[in-house]
Order: sequence, then structure tokens, then C-alpha cells
Amino acid sequence: MAGSESDLLQGTLDVLILKALALQELHGMGISRRIGQMTNGAFDVKAGSLFPALHRMEQAGWLTSSWGQAETNRRAKFYSLTKTGRKHLQTETERWERISLAMGAALGLRQEAR
Amino acid sequence: MISRLRALWMYVFRRNQLDDDLDEELSAYVELVSAEKVRSGMSTEEAFRNARRETGGVEQIRQGVRDIRVGVTLERLVQDVRYGIRTLAKNPIFSLVAIGTLALGIGANTAMFSLLDQVVLSLLPVKQPERLVRVTMAGDNYGDSYGPDRISWPMFEDLRDGNQVFTGMFSVFSTSVTLGHGNRAEQATAELVSGSYFPVLGIGAAEGRTIAPDDDKVPDSQPVVVLSYSFWHNYFNGDRSIVGRTIALNSYKMTVIGVAQPGFDGVQPEIPAQMFVPIMMKTEMTPHSDGLKDRRRRLAWVKTFGRLKPGMSAQQAQSSLQPLLHSILEMEVQLPDFRQFSNEDRRQFLRNRIQLLPGSDNWLSERMRRPLWILTALTGAVLLLACANLANLMLARAPAREREIALRLAIGAARARIVRQLMVETLLLSGAGAALGLALALLADRFLLHLYLPANEVAEFVVSPIPDWRVLALALCLLLLTSLAFGLVPALRGSRTEIAPSIKERSATGSAASVPLCRLLVVIQVALSLLLLTGAGLFVRTLRNLRGLGPGFPTDHLVEFALDPSLNGYSNDQTESFYERLNVNLLAMPGVSSVGLSSMPLLKAYAWQHAIIGETSAGEPKEAQPVLSEVGPGYFSTIGIPILEGRDFTERDRGPVKVAVINQSFAKRYLPPGDPIGRRFGLVDDQDPTALPNIEVIGVIPDTKYKDLREPAPPQAYFSYFQGPSFRFMNVYLRTEGDPRQLEDRLQERMRQFDSHVPIVGLETMNDQIGWSLRTERLVASLSAIFGGLAMLLAVVGLYGVMAYTVTRRTREMGIRIALGATRARIIGMMMREASVMVLVGLSVGAVLALALANLIRNQLFGLDPHDPWTLIGASLSLAIAAGAAGFIPAARASSVDPTTALRRE
Repeated sequence: MAGSESDLLQGTLDVLILKALALQELHGMGISRRIGQMTNGAFDVKAGSLFPALHRMEQAGWLTSSWGQAETNRRAKFYSLTKTGRKHLQTETERWERISLAMGAALGLRQEAR
Repeated sequence: MISRLRALWMYVFRRNQLDDDLDEELSAYVELVSAEKVRSGMSTEEAFRNARRETGGVEQIRQGVRDIRVGVTLERLVQDVRYGIRTLAKNPIFSLVAIGTLALGIGANTAMFSLLDQVVLSLLPVKQPERLVRVTMAGDNYGDSYGPDRISWPMFEDLRDGNQVFTGMFSVFSTSVTLGHGNRAEQATAELVSGSYFPVLGIGAAEGRTIAPDDDKVPDSQPVVVLSYSFWHNYFNGDRSIVGRTIALNSYKMTVIGVAQPGFDGVQPEIPAQMFVPIMMKTEMTPHSDGLKDRRRRLAWVKTFGRLKPGMSAQQAQSSLQPLLHSILEMEVQLPDFRQFSNEDRRQFLRNRIQLLPGSDNWLSERMRRPLWILTALTGAVLLLACANLANLMLARAPAREREIALRLAIGAARARIVRQLMVETLLLSGAGAALGLALALLADRFLLHLYLPANEVAEFVVSPIPDWRVLALALCLLLLTSLAFGLVPALRGSRTEIAPSIKERSATGSAASVPLCRLLVVIQVALSLLLLTGAGLFVRTLRNLRGLGPGFPTDHLVEFALDPSLNGYSNDQTESFYERLNVNLLAMPGVSSVGLSSMPLLKAYAWQHAIIGETSAGEPKEAQPVLSEVGPGYFSTIGIPILEGRDFTERDRGPVKVAVINQSFAKRYLPPGDPIGRRFGLVDDQDPTALPNIEVIGVIPDTKYKDLREPAPPQAYFSYFQGPSFRFMNVYLRTEGDPRQLEDRLQERMRQFDSHVPIVGLETMNDQIGWSLRTERLVASLSAIFGGLAMLLAVVGLYGVMAYTVTRRTREMGIRIALGATRARIIGMMMREASVMVLVGLSVGAVLALALANLIRNQLFGLDPHDPWTLIGASLSLAIAAGAAGFIPAARASSVDPTTALRRE
């Protein structure tokens, strides 16, 4: 899969953001870098997609935000998961599990350990 | 949910803070990215530049975030509405004409259909009203009758007990009674009902109980009364304790046993019943006549209803009732009543048939059915016209819209957004039109009801002015579809084509394909408005003809009212003395010059008809059925009818030798040629077949109208009321010196002082009454004139629009023509030719339609042919002149085009 965000499947970005925030609260760039890390650099989320997604998810009640100090002492907006966000991550993870199994079987791919 | 609400709240009230936060968040992002790059060894400046590049356009991200914000849809909508209002306000003429057209189409149809629905189509508020039928006998009952839809009491009993088709039958007789409660006396309307009335209708009691079959066994035995809910509410203020108490009806003590359920005013909506009395109390309620106990079969007086058995159709029931009726008729024809009739009469009588009519039909609905359907058809035509007009308006605007839309697409507007914006605009227009139309409908229905019913009846009559929502929805949908089809679709079609040519085409050519369509629409409009104008012309002339007819006597300074002292239990002698004292009393009233009394009201559609026998023609009494009345001395001079020959009645005409005054038609039709004075005739008496021609003619009067203005003066005979069988109901006519209206209040007061127990009814001037008797014609004439005028206006506006558009489109052509030497007159002539082709085609189509449809309104016309050429020519001429004016203005503008400007515009 090419790394361009335009190729991101609908809903994929949301799951990646939720997953990125599962361990700790992060600011925008932090989330972008964490997603890059998690996917071994396959996804490089640009600001143009990231921020609308963050604001949309915050409105949906999955994320909550607060202002805090970033590494450089710069004031930055930190996002963290809400309870509904965590629940949503849970259900999305299960869904993706099913989809990837099904797609793998359909395309005759070798099962990889995740 | 809560997070969304908070977001919406922030969006609406803290927008600036949201935007500031976003800006800070984004700049923090850029700084963090560049700090990362500095850490990996870049120079500060280079890192910042790279970070900016990587982040992309900040403004685009900002827009991206704003786009997903909750509330943004709402804001877009507000923007669209604002933009829509601005666009509409920029073309005020277009908007006003469009909104006016919509309002007219919606308002006229809603108002008219609501009236039609309630007056003509509505059903009685009873259980399963569609299963209820009126049982009538078609044919002559050979005897006395209260109306064509009545049968005799014994006939009702025979049908009730012998039929196999009804689950129940009831009969009803409506009458006026004098109600005494405390020291008030008032006239009220009562329905005398059989015991099966309430059970068969399925009407229950709101208080107490209703009349039951047990109340209907023995004559005179059940002095009970049930009040209608509205009468109980208005007259007794909804006092529950009235149940069980007694009230005086015609001075007879009656116990109130209950109040009928709300909304039910009897089975004759045109005469709402205020109370219900067992029909066994007929003698007490109508002291002047019986009919119940004497069981006369030649007196048809009860209206009869039946409820069809489940699964039985009215058609089946009607045919299976014929044998039953026939056996009853076979029996009746053998009775002594029939001895005097000829064999031909008997055969005729045996051909009578049962006719079942819808139970909810009534006098008003039958009378109004055709006029209201005609008016509804006219408003339907107005709706079509409104659609055509709207389509035309939209089409004329389409080219301008196309360019605007192309421009907006070019600067990056999404097509969906444009569609939504156009939808919003159309909805705004329709919404405004609908609101205005609804207001119009509300006003119109109130106005129409007032036009049609006297003020005090509007409250009683069960027509509500609430417009019918189905028609409202239908008209709205039709107009909405029209404006979408002709406004949105062309605009969008334009938007789909190449953007560049649309913008470049500065000459406003637009889609030339819409021009023939516009012309066709103008033709349709002209045709429809000619149709409406012709109809209006016919109805207005009918009204004028009827007004011009006159009753045959002077109607100014004439005032009338009615009363019935016999309802107060006054004996015949008491009533006679009452009228004699009344005569003297009223003659003494200042302002009154003469007083006349008559048992039959003039021009109120009532008639007392009776068969007579002549001196020589005793064998064939059936054809001779003049209308009759009993009058007092001074009646003819009060009404203003001269005595042509012989003399008027006097106080002395009380003796056993009966005398009559006849009109000229009577003399011509029933008396042998020669001097009618001294001739004799007699009334046929079905109790006494040996009756002799014992009435002597003492005077002759000219022919005057009797029942109504339309009907030619019938043969009439008048008797002295002193020689009548009994004194009861009388109509009092007063000739006044000044304006009779100014007398009315004093007259009321004087009558109260004269006898406070006898209520007077129907006090009005003769002119008001005549105006009132023409109300249906007036309603139809004034409404059709209004519709016709509006239709013409719409057609003319449509024509103007198309011509103006053509001129704009051909400005360049006109410029070239003028440059090449065409004169102003030539240009005007050319344009006018174009206009007149449309108008002439429209007029011809309209004329054909008008002639084809004219027969449908033949019955509503008076004194002129439905194909009356002058009306058609007049309507065509006025339409042609108006259209000519509408075409001339753009044509004149075309002729004054300055060739240099016109050519430079390209």
C-alpha cells in the first residue's frame, strides 16, 4: 500500500488516531509521528487530513483536548481518548481483525503475526 | 450528543475563540515540526521553511477544519437563505409577480374547495354517514305536500314495518316553536323525530339521555325535549341542572331529558335544529295542523331516512323497495280519497317510485352544488394559469441565471451547493406565496360565508373557514413542481454546459430553445383567460338581467317581518283579535303609511299551491294549480299592486260567501273569456269530493312575481284572511315614509311592548331580501369577475414578459435594421405582429373552448344564451386591447434602440 493519505481507506485514519492515543495523550505532531512509527513509516499523515479528523472526532466525543506544554516548552493542544473513544477503538479493532483475516484469505496471503 | 451540543454552542457563540485556538494549534504544529528538523541538524531558517512546506497551506487546513464543524450546515443554509432573499429582492417585480401568482393559485383554490367540500361534499356527523339514505317518493302524492321529498305518516309506517333493506328507519319534521324560559320568549327550531331517530343515527347524549323508541308510542304522551349541544351551550350557558327541569314550548310544559352529543345539529344542515321533540308531540308543537293523529295519506309531511343493511347498496335497496311501495299505492288508490281523480291520474299515481338519495344531501348542498362546482372549475383554470405564468417567469429569467451559475462554477462553487441554493430560493418563493395564499384563503372563506349567509347564521352554520389542507398541499405541490421544472432545470442544464461560452455570450441569448415554449405558454394563458372572462361576462349579465327583472311592484320603503301568535297557544279568536289590534297599532306608528298582512311570504321561494275546479271544468282539476295566499285589507295597496278591475278586500269580507282577488294570468288560464268579475271557482277538497265552485272573483290585479324573481309570474288567487280556515303564521308588510332601515329598531321595541310573548322573525327591508334572494348569482358573478380580471392580468403580464425578453434578445438585430433604414413604425409593426399571432391563436383556442364548455353553465344563466356572441366578442376585445398595450411597450422600446449602442454591446 502506498503511503499517500489519499489512499487511506475511509475510516482508517480514525482508527490510527485512536490507536496512537491509546497509550498517552499527544499533540497533533505527536500523533502524526506516532502513526508513522506504528506503521513503520507506511502512513505519513499530513496536517491537512489530520486536523480536520481530530476536530471531527472531538465533536463526536471520542477525543478530548487540553492545552499543555510540548517538548520545546511551546504551548500546544494535547488530545486524549475519552471513554467512548476507547470503546470505539475496541470495536474498530475487532472489525479490522475480521476484515484483514477475510481479505487475507480471499487474496491467498500468508497469515502474518500481528 | 453532549459533545456535539457543546461544539454547536461554541460554534454559535464563541466562533472567534474557536478560530484563535485553531490558529495557535496550527502554528504550534509548524514550530514543533521545525524544532524536530533543527534537532536533526538543519539551520533554524531552513527547518522553518521546510516545516511550512510540509504542513501545506494553513488556510486550506483551516478551511478543512471549519468544514467539518458542527453547525456549518446551518450556517450554509442561512447563507443560502440570505443570498436567496437578496436575489429575489434584486428583482422585485419578478418576485412580486411570482409570489402574487402563487398566492392567487393557492388561495383561490384552497378557499373555493374548502367551501365546496363543506357545503356540498361533507357528510353528516353521524355514525357511518355513507350508509344513511333519504327515502323519497318520485311522482305526485296527489294531495297536500310540504315538499317533494316528504311522504305521509302512514306511508312511513308501512315502509318502516315492511322493508327488508334497512337496519332502521326514522322520520323527522322540522318546525319553529316559541320557547318560553323565565320571562324570555324566543323562536327556536325544533326537529320532531321518531323514536328510532337517535339509535339509527348513532347519536348519543352529552347529558341525560336522548329520545328512545319508548317515547314514541302514544300521541301526546311524552312531553320531553332533548337540546342540541350548541343551543344548550349558548342559550342555557351549559347549565347541567337544566336536565330534569321543564321549559315551555308553545306554552306547553316540556321536560328536558338530555343534551345531544356535541357537533350534532340535526339532519338538515341548512336548518340547524336547536332541540329535538318526539314526533308524537306533533299536535302540541304545531297547533295549526295535525297529520299525525288524523293519519291522512294525502298529506306528505315527514322527511324519512333509512340506514342500509351491511352489504346492501343504495341501488339494490331502491329496486327491492319498489314492490313494497307499489302494494302500498295499490291500497291507497282504492281509498275514498281518490274517488275524485280521473283514471289517468290513478295510472299516473301507480307509477310513483321510491328514490333513495344520499342521506347527507340537503337543500343547501343541492342548490349550491352546481354553482360551487363551476367556481371550483374556474379556480382550477386559475391554478393552471398561475402555473403557466410561473413557468413563463422562470423561463424568462433562465438565461440570466445560466450565466450567473456558470460564473459561480468557474470561481469554484460546488454544483451541489448551487443546486441547494436554487432549491432554497424556489422554496422561499413558494413559501412566501403559500403563506400569502393561505391568508388569502382564510379571508376569502370568511368573506364568502358573509356574502352568502346572513351575519347571525354564520355562527350557526357548520361551515368552518379553515382551509382544506389537501387542496392547499395539492396546489402548493403543483406550483412547486412548476417552478422547479421551469426554474431549476433550465438553470442546471445551463450549468452543465461548457462554462466559458456561457460567460462569453454576453448578448443574453441564453437557451433559445425556451422561446417557443414561452410562446406556447402565452397562448395557453390567453386561451384560459378568455374562457374565464367569457364566463364572468355571462354571469355578470345574468345577475344584471335578474336585477333588472323586478318583482312588478315598487320595493323601496317596504319592510317586512313575520310572526305566529298561534304558537303561544292563542286560540283562533285570540289570534284574529291579535292581528286586528296589530293592524291598528302599526298604522298609528309614526313613519308608517300603510300595513298589509299575508299568510304567504313574497319572493321567498315558498308557494301554497292547490288544485281548483272551475264553473264548467269540474272533470279535470289536476292541471289547474294556481298559487294562493290569504291577505288582509290594505295588502295590495301596501305592496303597491293596483286593482285593475273590481275591488280590494274590506273588513266586511268575512261572511260565508267566499271572495277572491285574482291576477291576470289566473283569469286568462282558468276563467272563460269575458269579464272575470263575478265568476266562480272552487278549491279541490280531498275530504269532500262534492265541493262546489263557491268562491266569487271580486277583483283583478296585474301579474307580479310570487316565488322568486326568476320564475315568471304564476296564476295567483288571493283570499280574505278573515275567511281562511284558521289564523296563524302571518307576514307583515309596512310601507314607510322614509328609509325603512331607520324604522327597524323602533319597530322591534314597539312589537315587544305590543306583545312580549310573540317573537318577531325575519325583520328586513324588501330590497335587502331581494338582494339576498340573488346571493348565489351574486356570489358566482362577483367571484368569476374577480377570477376573470386576475386571469387577464396574468395573461397580459405573461405576454409582456415574453415580448420584453424577445426585444432584449434581438437588440442587435433591431440595431442593424435601424442602421439599414427601418423606420420606427416598421419595427413596432414587426414586433406587434409577433405579439398578435400569439394573442390571436390564444383567442381562437379560448373561443373554441368557451363555446364547447358553455352548455355546462346553461342552467346558471338567465335571460341570455350560453353561446351569447356579444359576451364572447366583448371578452375577446378587452383581452386583445390589454394584450396590445402589453405588447406595445416592449415594441416601442425596440424601435427606439440606438443602432450604435446596440452594435457596440456585442
